[in-house]
Amino acid sequence: MDPISGLRLANIIPNGLQPLDVQAPKPGSIPTQELSNLASVKTPETQNVGRSFSDFFTEMTQEVNAKQSAASDAVQGVLSGQNVPLHRAMLAVEEASVSFQLMVEVRNKLLESYQELMRMQI
Amino acid sequence: MIQTLTGIDSTASALAAERIRMDVISQNIANANLTHGIDGKPYQRQQVIFEKVLQQAQGLDGGAAAQQVQVARIEQDHRPARLIYNPGHPDADADGMVAVPNINIHEEMADLIVASRAYEANLAVVKNARTMALQTLSIGKR
Repeated sequence: MDPISGLRLANIIPNGLQPLDVQAPKPGSIPTQELSNLASVKTPETQNVGRSFSDFFTEMTQEVNAKQSAASDAVQGVLSGQNVPLHRAMLAVEEASVSFQLMVEVRNKLLESYQELMRMQI
Repeated sequence: MIQTLTGIDSTASALAAERIRMDVISQNIANANLTHGIDGKPYQRQQVIFEKVLQQAQGLDGGAAAQQVQVARIEQDHRPARLIYNPGHPDADADGMVAVPNINIHEEMADLIVASRAYEANLAVVKNARTMALQTLSIGKR
């Protein structure tokens, strides 16, 4: 708990209580208003810590798409005689294919865990 | 940046370099009987010199450096031209000797085999890297 919230707690709690109690209040004794204050402090923090998984997955999809189009460009370069070495094109295709498989595996895992959750007994 | 096939850059550079080496060897074989080049002299054997390129690898742990190879330059072999007696040849000198390129076709064939095997070795590396990546992906399968 940060010192500022401690100060606010001291304002709310009746005068008869000792400062020691203010430092470590029992969970049940915290007023609801204070709890909602805590929640409002916490929420932006969790949002800043990490990007959401959907952002990550979107980024990954875009990267795989970029690899696919790079591979397609390389193959086009070979076929239209633009001095692209054959092995460059094949390596680009291979890399695109493996990245795609990686994406598919991640998607499979995601779907699997979702279905696992849906099967859960409540 | 997703790096699924790490270390493939070195292999790609080696493939390109070996390709150039094979091109130079084929040029040597093709010109083995060229007695009168652009400069009026017989063809001189060419050979490739490789050099390494240090490139910072992006996806590896700790920023380990991947060494790549490239053709530094294509140099002439300075062995003298062979002299063959052929007085009827237009390039023959006063003694009837013709300067033939300093190319030994057996040597070139041996070099061709070496270059082609080196290319194959690099292709095997690519194939293995791919197999390893796919097998690693199969960890997630059931």
